[in-house]
Amino acid sequence: MALRRLELGHGIGLRTKHFARFEAEASPVEWVEAVAENFMAEGGRPIALLEKVRRDTPVAIHGVSLSIGGSDPLSDVYLRDLRRLVSRIEPALVTDHLCWGTYRRKYVHDLLPLPYTEESLAHVAGRVSAVQDLLGRQILLENPSTYVAFQESTLTEWEFLAELSQRADCGILLDVNNVYVSAHNLGFDPLAYLDGIPPDRVGQFHLAGHSNKGRYLLDSHDGPVAPPVWNLYREALRRFGRVPTLVEWDERIPPLEAVVAESRLAAAVEADELAPALREAS
Amino acid sequence: MTLGETQALFHELVTGEADPDDERLERVFRGSGELATYERIGIYRGMYRARLVDALRETFPNLVRFLRDDHFTDLGEAYLRRHPSEHHDIGRFGRRLAAFLLRHPDPARPDLADLAALEWARNEVFFAAESAAAAPETLAALPPESAGAARLEMAPSLRVLSLAHDALALWRRLEGGEPPFPPIPGPSAAAVWRRGFEVFHCSLPLHEAAGLKAALRGASLAEVCSHFANRPDPSAEAHGALAGWFAEHWVARVRAPGC
Repeated sequence: MALRRLELGHGIGLRTKHFARFEAEASPVEWVEAVAENFMAEGGRPIALLEKVRRDTPVAIHGVSLSIGGSDPLSDVYLRDLRRLVSRIEPALVTDHLCWGTYRRKYVHDLLPLPYTEESLAHVAGRVSAVQDLLGRQILLENPSTYVAFQESTLTEWEFLAELSQRADCGILLDVNNVYVSAHNLGFDPLAYLDGIPPDRVGQFHLAGHSNKGRYLLDSHDGPVAPPVWNLYREALRRFGRVPTLVEWDERIPPLEAVVAESRLAAAVEADELAPALREAS
Repeated sequence: MTLGETQALFHELVTGEADPDDERLERVFRGSGELATYERIGIYRGMYRARLVDALRETFPNLVRFLRDDHFTDLGEAYLRRHPSEHHDIGRFGRRLAAFLLRHPDPARPDLADLAALEWARNEVFFAAESAAAAPETLAALPPESAGAARLEMAPSLRVLSLAHDALALWRRLEGGEPPFPPIPGPSAAAVWRRGFEVFHCSLPLHEAAGLKAALRGASLAEVCSHFANRPDPSAEAHGALAGWFAEHWVARVRAPGC
């Protein structure tokens, strides 16, 4: 089954700092992304707000704790809560990360990288299929930002993602900033990464800011998108076309207007980059 | 190495169970450029501690105010070593902090465990499920002969705390940005609840707290009221307390016998 790419446009992450604005006003963006774990509680303000937003605006549910690559069994409790949230919100997209984050049922609350081997591929593909069967829908997996690689990896990350998306019939959430950060930290060519991703599997883009720590880049989500990431976004647009794009901003979060402005900038970059193709098509 | 063995090592390195100079490091991980492998692992290690201690900071703002940042970080890291996160919601990481402080008290401030219990309860009720509020007339409408066997179904967003110090006074001082009092020892009790999206707490007389705890356990109304038996006017006080519970929407439903 192919991935049906949605026409969502440009969105932002729904963060606590902006709850009051979203409660009082209509959504200022075309769609929002909610971090699944922050909205899984049965009651209270977050889920009430998400239900309100969902009435007028498409929502993506973005998990950080599925641990799809973990060697622990998938958590029944997590899957129960995720399924309940998905039933309640009926999101446009359900996404998580190509990573692991639990070991012996202890959560590190991080997106740890996997060795890219045939063993990992078979392991992750089987688990993605299980999750998709449980939810009754496709999920998208996001490329993580990474700081270390494994001696035993026999595949590149893009080869792994491409093969995984075919085997498990899932989508790819391509985080352009993560490609840039990992390429810098691990010394690979970000354009080779983009070239290796099958366009028909890409269902969402992420954009975010990172920090330069001198000898490495940190995926900090604490500022505007960096100029080289905008350039890489243009390269992604050339290869993949119009893809629902979301700006993440999780630390030192500015007023809502600034995050919305960053999302509108992404829309402008997309329009600028795709205008010649659209003119040609018409 | 199998995937499981690789993750076991990575996990040990990130959580600090293995040393960054573990001889397996270079055999398993690969760096490039000018950053050594142990430094790369150190990035994950630093983020692990920082992220989880930050989660505690959000849950226990007045404990942070009291301890100041450095001491709170020390406490958070000690707690993390003893109680790694067991839930996918990082916001639940602090659920054992009050118990941890009870087992490892600061001799000068034994009341911090109670402060943590109060802040944890406030956090928990914020995310509790919604419920309806029973009308006070529901109780009055019960036939007198069966009222004692009725049970109160309490709101999921209600907690009752038994405390060994006046943590509410400490919380109030810290919340107001004032310097804390010395610890005020003595058994006390508190109710913590949510109305709409706002969280409240108040102190409770010990007998009322015992009655409320009985109601939360699903005890009969007769047993709930038995906790007022030693009061000067048991019936009037029980009725007064019950009226308050209904007024605050702590009672979600009244279950008559046989229902």
